[in-house]
Amino acid sequence: MSDSSNLQLTEHGELRHFLTPEGLDRLMLERILDTADSFVVVGNQEIKKVPLLRGRTVVNLFFENSTRTRSTFELAAKRLSADVLTLDIKTSATSKGESLLDTLQNLRAMHSDMFVVRHSDSGAAHFIAEQVTPNVAIINAGDGRHAHPTQAMLDMLTIRRHKGRFEPLSVAIVGDISHSRVARDQIHALKTLGCKDIRLVGPNTLMPQGIENMGVTTHSNMDSGISGADVIIMLRLQTERMASAFLPSAGEYFRLYGLTTARLSQAKPDAIVMHPGPINRGIEIESAVADGPQSMILNQVGYGIALRMAVMSMAMSGQMQQRQSQASQSSSLIGEKKI
Amino acid sequence: MRVIIRGARLLDPNQALDCVADVLVRNGVIEIIGNLTDTPFDGHVDTQVNAKGMILSPSFVDLNTCLRDLNQIQKGTIASETLAAASAGFTHLCPSPDTQPCSDSGSVISLIKSKAEAAGFCDLLPVAALTKDLKGAALSNMESLSRAGCIGFSNAGFDISDNNVLLRCYEYAATFGLKVLVQAQDEKLGSGHMHAGPTATRMGLDGIPIIAETLSISRHLQLMQHTGVEGHFNQLTSAQGVALIRQAKAQGIKVTADVGIAHLCFTDSAIKGYRSQYHVQPPLREELDREALVAGIKDGTIDAICSAHQPHESAAKCAPFAATESGMAVYDMLVPLIQTLVDAGELTWMHAIVALSSNSASIAKNEITGLTVGKRANLTLIDPNHSWTLDEASQLSHGTNQALANQTLKARVKLTLKQGQISYAL
Repeated sequence: MSDSSNLQLTEHGELRHFLTPEGLDRLMLERILDTADSFVVVGNQEIKKVPLLRGRTVVNLFFENSTRTRSTFELAAKRLSADVLTLDIKTSATSKGESLLDTLQNLRAMHSDMFVVRHSDSGAAHFIAEQVTPNVAIINAGDGRHAHPTQAMLDMLTIRRHKGRFEPLSVAIVGDISHSRVARDQIHALKTLGCKDIRLVGPNTLMPQGIENMGVTTHSNMDSGISGADVIIMLRLQTERMASAFLPSAGEYFRLYGLTTARLSQAKPDAIVMHPGPINRGIEIESAVADGPQSMILNQVGYGIALRMAVMSMAMSGQMQQRQSQASQSSSLIGEKKI
Repeated sequence: MRVIIRGARLLDPNQALDCVADVLVRNGVIEIIGNLTDTPFDGHVDTQVNAKGMILSPSFVDLNTCLRDLNQIQKGTIASETLAAASAGFTHLCPSPDTQPCSDSGSVISLIKSKAEAAGFCDLLPVAALTKDLKGAALSNMESLSRAGCIGFSNAGFDISDNNVLLRCYEYAATFGLKVLVQAQDEKLGSGHMHAGPTATRMGLDGIPIIAETLSISRHLQLMQHTGVEGHFNQLTSAQGVALIRQAKAQGIKVTADVGIAHLCFTDSAIKGYRSQYHVQPPLREELDREALVAGIKDGTIDAICSAHQPHESAAKCAPFAATESGMAVYDMLVPLIQTLVDAGELTWMHAIVALSSNSASIAKNEITGLTVGKRANLTLIDPNHSWTLDEASQLSHGTNQALANQTLKARVKLTLKQGQISYAL
């Protein structure tokens, strides 16, 4: 959405919020990946801290359950030397009837510098960025089925580190596209980074209407969908999809769309297999593939911390610039008045 | 009281009238239509308008609106919303039965009617609930409610999923020759927040597919045909929906339909950026649908344009999109929206007046007397060139959910006469 991209950038085009890769240009996405690359090294050092966010307060606002994303964000903030507060909002204020806006205004009054937000409503991070700041950076840690930009970008980092350039790659995204915020952001990021062949694989019940407009092809047959692919991204299948009549059974799904060693042989021999986690062994992926040599699943977790450090430091720096620019504007205004 | 309107363009579809003339209204009755400089008259004049370049038509009848009274006065009151309606050229309104408490009893109907009467801006022709408390389980007292002045029966935005109950509703309405109004949307398929299409997919919002409308239209059309009930569809949204109505009319089914002004002017792409002011039910669809709705008005498949006015307080729209309440405050921008369609060459003012006045009046079984000498004056005078800004100072509805807030708009109602009295003057 064009509104999101304006909202995400400072007047000088620097990142100040990170809500979705949609609307950000290739240069910006590559800067995020380059910065993340430099933080991968930090994770391998004896002392894993850098002082980029020292004295800053980062509040993790998780309105929805999460273990992995929440802990990697917390770790990323700590490695950047920020003060971190993690709030489990689901069981506190909003359940007492306080509106989202009121909760956030209270938190803003505590002079936080950054909110990392996960919420079950699509557009929640966008709403917060629009309504609550001016001076708090918002990092979207997943909103409804709209966006999960840090996950998508860590996937891009994984692909770039293991496959190089995006232009010649064929990428297959397999599974529950309809309910996936990750798939949508992966498509935006892959397109922006130059990938030409993006295939979505799944049954019609899990394929959202009009997704082809995003510049992808859709495939209901797994074998043809992953044939010759360089990258296969498997999506997690929520078990509630069976109860709500999207699918008949986990068994039939695995038979038709599960990634097995035999199926993987349809892809390029050096294809990599990714999964945002947590994986359902025997439902969307066979253990031999998940733990096999082509699997990047654990690498993704490690890159996730580096990517989140990159985005947090860039957004904070954008906010700082914005604050300074606002401060200098208001002081020059005061100066004018004096004259 | 005497009112003189000089030099307006008179448009009255009932008489195929399109001419420039002066109009004198005396004691509530249209006394003279013609050239008043040549036709002498004696006595005092209370209001005189130089209406050169303006359009004078029979007043408007709104087939679908929410006035929010009785228990939602934080959103709007009968007094505030009927004044806003008068400022959009309406003299008669058919409020939807989803009032709080619900319009399923004679006492609620008489209370809302008396409140409107006390305010004096518009007369109400209420639509009553088809089932008790709109629950879709038990029939409302349709015959009694009809005697209390209700012009038809509807279950508003609440689908009746039980076919047995729905058939009984139609059969009972048929017994007494009562009209059934339908907002066609399957409940389960309609549980999303916007039109199911590329925009909803991109934004990750739950979609409402067009089949939610067409399945429901087909079901109701069969019941109308089976029982002989005169049916009316409120707020069509899709090209396929328009096609079904066109087909039904060709088959001789007694059916009419309207479209909300928002659906004629906006599409789902307006929601990009999670703009909750465009969160409406039934949802805004795509450009092809919008064009089909406009074509439906032009060829008469769609009989009427309604406001589907739904005022809200600001908190109702201040949340992540899916958590916001649906609905748009429409009255303050209705005439400018028609003007944009006219300026774009999509409709003429005559099309609009057919849809806002003569057809909607006949569907509401209300005699709008039109521009005829000797009849009560129910008139709307529009200045199509008036440029103004819709803001807190100029808006009359209490609803803060104004999609075009702070924009410069063109066209405005100058004067509305109800039963010969001035109900609104700019």
